[in-house]
Amino acid sequence: MLHLSEKPHFIYTCLMLLAWVSQYVSLSTGFELNHSLTYIWPLPHELTSGNETLTVNPTLSLYLIGKGGNFKILREGFRRYKRIIFKQSSGVSIFKNLRRIRSIYDISQIRIIVNSDSDELKLGVDESYTLFITKTGGKSIAWEAIIEVNTVYGALRGLETFSQLCAYDYTTKSVQLSKAPWYIKDKPRFAYRGLLLDTSRHYFPVDVIKSIIDSMSYAKLNVLHWHIIDKQSFPLEIPKYPKLWNGAYTKWERYTVEDASKIVRFAKTRGIHVMAEVDVPGHAESWGVGYPDLWPSNSCREPLDVTKNFTFDLISGIFSDIRKIFPFELFHLGGDEVNIGCWNNTPHVKQWLKDNNMKPKDAYKYFVLKAQEIAISKNWTPVNWEETFNAFAGSLNPQTVVHNWLGPGVCPKAVAKGFNCIFSNSGVWYLDHLDVPWEQIYNAEPLEGIDNESKQKLVLGGEVCMWSETVDTSNVQQTIWPRAAAAAERLWSTKSALSAGNDTVLHRLHYFRCLLQRRGVQAAPVTNYYARQPPAGPDSCYWQ
Amino acid sequence: MLPFSQNSHYKLRFLVLVLWVSHLVDSKSGFELDESLTYLWPLPSEFTSGNQTLTVDPTLSFSALGKGGNSKILVEGFERYKKIIFKHVSGISLFDKSRGIRSVYDISELRFIVNSDSEELQLGVDESYTLFVAKKDGKSIVGEATIEANTVYGALRGLETFSQLCAFDYETKSVQIYKAPWYIKDKPRFAFRGLMLDTSRHYLPIDVIKQIIESMSYAKLNVLHWHIIDEESFPLEVPSYPKLWNAAYTKWERYTIEDASEIVSFAKMRGIHIMAEVDVPGHAESWGAGYPDLWPSSTCREPLDVSKSFTFDLISGILSEMRKIFPFELFHLGGDEVHTDCWTSTPHIKQWLNDQNMTAKDAYQYFVLKAQEIAISKNWTPVNWEETFNSFPSKLNPRTIVHNWLGPGVCPKAVAKGFRCIFSNQGAWYLDHLDVPWNEVYSAEPLEGINNVSEQNLVLGGEVCMWGETADTSDVQQTIWPRAAAAAERLWSKREAVSARNITLTILPRLHYFRCLLNRRGVQAAPVTNKYARQPPIGAGSCYEQ
Repeated sequence: MLHLSEKPHFIYTCLMLLAWVSQYVSLSTGFELNHSLTYIWPLPHELTSGNETLTVNPTLSLYLIGKGGNFKILREGFRRYKRIIFKQSSGVSIFKNLRRIRSIYDISQIRIIVNSDSDELKLGVDESYTLFITKTGGKSIAWEAIIEVNTVYGALRGLETFSQLCAYDYTTKSVQLSKAPWYIKDKPRFAYRGLLLDTSRHYFPVDVIKSIIDSMSYAKLNVLHWHIIDKQSFPLEIPKYPKLWNGAYTKWERYTVEDASKIVRFAKTRGIHVMAEVDVPGHAESWGVGYPDLWPSNSCREPLDVTKNFTFDLISGIFSDIRKIFPFELFHLGGDEVNIGCWNNTPHVKQWLKDNNMKPKDAYKYFVLKAQEIAISKNWTPVNWEETFNAFAGSLNPQTVVHNWLGPGVCPKAVAKGFNCIFSNSGVWYLDHLDVPWEQIYNAEPLEGIDNESKQKLVLGGEVCMWSETVDTSNVQQTIWPRAAAAAERLWSTKSALSAGNDTVLHRLHYFRCLLQRRGVQAAPVTNYYARQPPAGPDSCYWQ
Repeated sequence: MLPFSQNSHYKLRFLVLVLWVSHLVDSKSGFELDESLTYLWPLPSEFTSGNQTLTVDPTLSFSALGKGGNSKILVEGFERYKKIIFKHVSGISLFDKSRGIRSVYDISELRFIVNSDSEELQLGVDESYTLFVAKKDGKSIVGEATIEANTVYGALRGLETFSQLCAFDYETKSVQIYKAPWYIKDKPRFAFRGLMLDTSRHYLPIDVIKQIIESMSYAKLNVLHWHIIDEESFPLEVPSYPKLWNAAYTKWERYTIEDASEIVSFAKMRGIHIMAEVDVPGHAESWGAGYPDLWPSSTCREPLDVSKSFTFDLISGILSEMRKIFPFELFHLGGDEVHTDCWTSTPHIKQWLNDQNMTAKDAYQYFVLKAQEIAISKNWTPVNWEETFNSFPSKLNPRTIVHNWLGPGVCPKAVAKGFRCIFSNQGAWYLDHLDVPWNEVYSAEPLEGINNVSEQNLVLGGEVCMWGETADTSDVQQTIWPRAAAAAERLWSKREAVSARNITLTILPRLHYFRCLLNRRGVQAAPVTNKYARQPPIGAGSCYEQ
């Protein structure tokens, strides 16, 4: 196990590894589980465990009890998790005599009791679950696994936890569940646990978006905030305005309405909402590639022309079309970084401002409120970046959800005024900030500065943002993980669990990063100085 | 489309992008294909195309003639490619009127003619195929789309090419084939087109290895050289020596024999050989974690103890077990970078050398030849890194395949002595050398310096090597692609085709296109033209231009 290399730049690593190896060399393996810790990510709300090790039958079956509603999501989820859990128990057996064949397993069935027959996925849908791994009654030696939930989405969270309890044991070549019996009663701390994905700075193929959604479900994140469009490109098809996606980078870097629906459905089967964003009136230059009338002028192209009815007709048309695709009740209207220079120096806009007795700042408000009205008329709850709140809090529709990003301290102000808020302080939760280490992300608290309990309830949760100026298919997962997992635990687990020392959290986070890798997710080393750096040298996943 | 950012460190990029965007902003989509090029990677050996556009039926059906038509490999391959080709055509229709529904498609069947029913996958297996795609016309007896091959593996290569002819058209929302009719007659230039993967410096989970194998098939690479074990860790289970994998990094970073078999059969389904490597006597320190007797001493741990018969019994045991897993006829015995100091500084070995009247160099030869004998006795053809050839070429078993790595000019010497050779000149084909740009990878020629045709035939091919010191699950695909594709075309396509003068004009646009194809298929292929490999894109932009 000693590391040795003739290359000079590995010598330092080599020394560090020597120091590490020497303390472990008498053990058969380098990284040992600390049995006082619970290797479930994010940490459940309440749990007790024991000290028995159980075997899990590779032909594990599902027994569903409940009101007999739509269990398709659950059956599919069970099959998905079964593939994850039993990745390594393959049917191939060329060394039969050497295998320890077990005909009796401790757990051969998982029983799921679902109380509600609705599979509606709304904000705040009940994601709680209770998971028991326990001996059946009487003197029987049989064990049972039971997940009890109100909704299928709670059951999916319970299955994720169950899958994390299972580990392939290389000695017995069976899947084992250690520290049984288990009693886990779990629920999320926040209803909104998001990840923003920006498909305008770089296009992400549908398969890549799906694999990101899959990986989110492993960390119990539940909102994909899809920042579809920005000034660089307009990849989404809008049937009513078919020239909009002329603003795509190329004719292949596009999403059809069918692609978008497929993504929404894929996410739903994992209990994940897709919140779409159409960012107006700034960040919209690409719209004018197909409809140049949207630009104030050919040489000054942003924000969208506030003076024309066409602008708002088109926004209304976009919303009508995509309302059919995105059932989630929240819809993001952007409203950030509106630089009103073009309004001020384009003659017809300037004239219009004058006629309407508006300053550009008033026109910004006018635009945002008008977009809000349109969204509300489509039965959407508008979400806006914090600039709208910072600029004209008193005029915003009271339903507005304020999306923080510029810095700390905004949610306290927003909830004080009665608004809902989403926490994404860019100093800590912008994943494109590569110099923010995992522990700063982990320690960022959405309720910081909010002491009143009724005000705390107005904080829906938080979101890590993957802006994609320097992120494409080649490195997006590597930039998202493992740091998004730090935020995921912050958003799911109880505050008291989160205040455990960083050492134990780091140990668990290493373990979770390796779990992601086993599942094929390109999670980067945890403790590199900058995010998404390559590993510094040869070593175990559990140590880097 | 103008990029804009308030962050000051984007300012420079911003200016560069402004310049770029300003010349593109008038064309509706910023990037247009140079239609004079053929967007197939690697470029087929012979082809002709036309100027028709054909539509492909999303319910494309399979039919097969010939002895090999019922092969599971072929049927599963067809299903796999169908998923790739029709990714975008889904049943959902929220906006019926906007869809261009076509009830009649030009291509609704893909016909296979596979002449042989043998599924044996050995070096040099016939991978040739003929692919014909044309609009059906009354007079023609040939079907709409036909792939003819001698083996199922040739048919798989033809399927890959067929999938690259198909592209989803966003206007009509159907899959189309441009520039039909197509007539393609294709075969590889080299039988051995490899990628080496190192699972000792970093463990790669089974799923990741499978993703890599899958991506290899897109570039028609056909050998995964699995450098399983090295000094850092020993992840593979060896049932007769169960303590060997105690040297895995952790108890979870291991491969059972079932895992290894699964990888071999997964690769076979894609026409890919797995060549396993057990590198002796150097690079083997991890072996001693379970069996310290293999170390010269507990303080001097490499190379393996040449003086003990236990060492060779154990090697023989490992190879016996592995022979059941790895059917490929080539087996890599390493033999590189052997520093014999531990032999000369450990008393009992020094004594043994004395008794045998051997120098340390002789003992190195003795060890390598003994390992070769063991491999040959298991019916394997031994492959060795070039140091063995450089040190004692005349003693090597004549069946030995010399694996070049240290620099250029080794294959010419090896084939001159009658050995077969694999080209992996590290200056060009070591993927961990991040400063080697795609064009240098592309321009490296395995037959450089070999003019005699019969000697040229001794060069089996080449291999790009992905050493794992700084590559783990998070960045391995990004380091492999797109540069491995450059080598893949060098190894598949005709030498004239890859020797074009201005590769920036003729090859680079095709490589951009192939990189985006990899991205669409979920492969983390990095930007093509970054100065260093696996660097992030420098700013917002299209995949087709970065």
